Amino acid sequence: MPPAAALRYWAERWQGVVLSLVVVVATLWLGLSGQLGLYIHPRYFVFTMAMAVIGLVLVAAGFARRRVFEAEHTGRFETALTGVGVVLLLVMGVAMVIVPPTTLSSATATQREVNSGGLGTDDDAEQAATLIGTGDFEQLSVREWVSLLAQSSDPAFYADKTARVIGFVTPDAQDPDNVFYVARFVVTCCAVDAQPIGVPIYLPDWQAEYEVDDWVQVTGRFDQSVSAAASDPLAITPIEILDVDQPNDPYVY
Amino acid sequence: MVLAVFLLRALSPAFVNEQLSDFSLPDRVQDTLTLAISVIIESVPFVFLGILLSAVVQVWLPHGVLARHLPRNPILRRASISLLGMFFPVCECGNVPLARGFMVGGFTVSESITFLLAAPILNPITIITTHQAFGWDGHILVARLLGGFLIANVVGWLFSKHPDPQSLLTSRFAVACAVGSTGGREHAHDRESRFSRTTEIFIRETSVIMPALFIGSAVAALTQVFVPRSVLLALGSNPVWSVLAMMALAFIVAVCSNVDAFFVLSFGSTFLPGGIVAFLVFGALVDVKMLALMRTTFTSRTLLQITVVVGLMSAALGLLVNYVA
Repeated sequence: MPPAAALRYWAERWQGVVLSLVVVVATLWLGLSGQLGLYIHPRYFVFTMAMAVIGLVLVAAGFARRRVFEAEHTGRFETALTGVGVVLLLVMGVAMVIVPPTTLSSATATQREVNSGGLGTDDDAEQAATLIGTGDFEQLSVREWVSLLAQSSDPAFYADKTARVIGFVTPDAQDPDNVFYVARFVVTCCAVDAQPIGVPIYLPDWQAEYEVDDWVQVTGRFDQSVSAAASDPLAITPIEILDVDQPNDPYVY
Repeated sequence: MVLAVFLLRALSPAFVNEQLSDFSLPDRVQDTLTLAISVIIESVPFVFLGILLSAVVQVWLPHGVLARHLPRNPILRRASISLLGMFFPVCECGNVPLARGFMVGGFTVSESITFLLAAPILNPITIITTHQAFGWDGHILVARLLGGFLIANVVGWLFSKHPDPQSLLTSRFAVACAVGSTGGREHAHDRESRFSRTTEIFIRETSVIMPALFIGSAVAALTQVFVPRSVLLALGSNPVWSVLAMMALAFIVAVCSNVDAFFVLSFGSTFLPGGIVAFLVFGALVDVKMLALMRTTFTSRTLLQITVVVGLMSAALGLLVNYVA
């Protein structure tokens, strides 16, 4: 068999099962190590794991298949597709093993604009209103505060309410020296659709103490933002800022 | 070997893991990787499901049974096919292998295109999630369902007029269809060979679909990281630009049609309803990931024609909602 034909045969016989094997094993590994949530919404966990197991059975059957495989005619496009697919596989495969799975960073939060989407449903507002009614304001998460801020920017409404929020640090686009967001990503389906939401914190020269992407817990009260340039009219004036570990479930749903 | 590598990584001593956890890439590279992996992990289960259903159609059901029970009138036939997604809710990634299976099993090219374009919208999961997100507000659900049905049938009708439908397919897939319709089913009643053929379909389909999925995921991730979204978001309140911007967003984001309603809901306050409808219709049918997947089956020229017609009709639908509804 000439080398080009041998390569085509090899590609057609093995590339699908090998690529499937890598994805299936990676999925099972992420699922069993509790890291699947870094990539997809929890509603897909059971389906994804079940299909990974079924995929593993099919991959095993694919490897075990003895019958002589008849390679079909392969055009230039398919050959190119194979080449690029294999290179991408190598890059992603090596990266998945070497680089630890992680959340999206502040770079994506900036690119997608904090609070430009991700919330705005009646359910969010209703849930936030219910929690406000309980009087236990420190239980409100970033998501609920952002929802409330979207409803009202009247400082009087927030005067007697202390917020305690956990998220990663990302700078305000308009006044990055004085204001940063305690931000989280809202995920609908998978990390691709993650929308950054965040509560603004007014702290001049915050970069001296905190780095972008640090996970922090901020306690403080909302006030009219001192920064004239900031994106939001209100901001938390911090009483206490603690460094915290990234939560096991860094996204919000 | 792959299993061994991941096992080694999982069971490696703590200090190795510590060393690795210190290893980090620049943020944008890391995010590109995270986004690409998330698309793959989210899509592959649906691809497997689509391949399994495709194998059911090709191997386990009597040859042509679906085609035989559909109306003979071409228009009614395509209209019925566009509702098949109600029984095969496998999301758009899984629809590609399923549509390929339909073609091998006796559907014409235009009928398969109709299925491929209608099924992501006209399926129970998409209908339920769109209703959960929008209810009956602003006629968004109705516009999406009618729009999806209409576009799929118009595109199917257009391609049914093509003098040489086989030329719409890649040469490799055209050969596979010819084999499927004339031979290769000689052992259809042999239970052993059915399992064997199912495995063969899995090998063949994954060899085509998986590289395309990897490429589509990489393109989707790169586009997301390097195209600033603020450019699109600034256009939300203009009746015309809101439609075009949301179609561009749908093309880039490549979110699954089963849940895209929840995603776009968060843009409801920024964009006019027509933009939302255009997102929900266009994005379900055409996006960067789907083009890579569909290229396994159709020529580039065919995909360009599909994209242009679907794009124009989605834009018209969005404008109609903005100006009339």
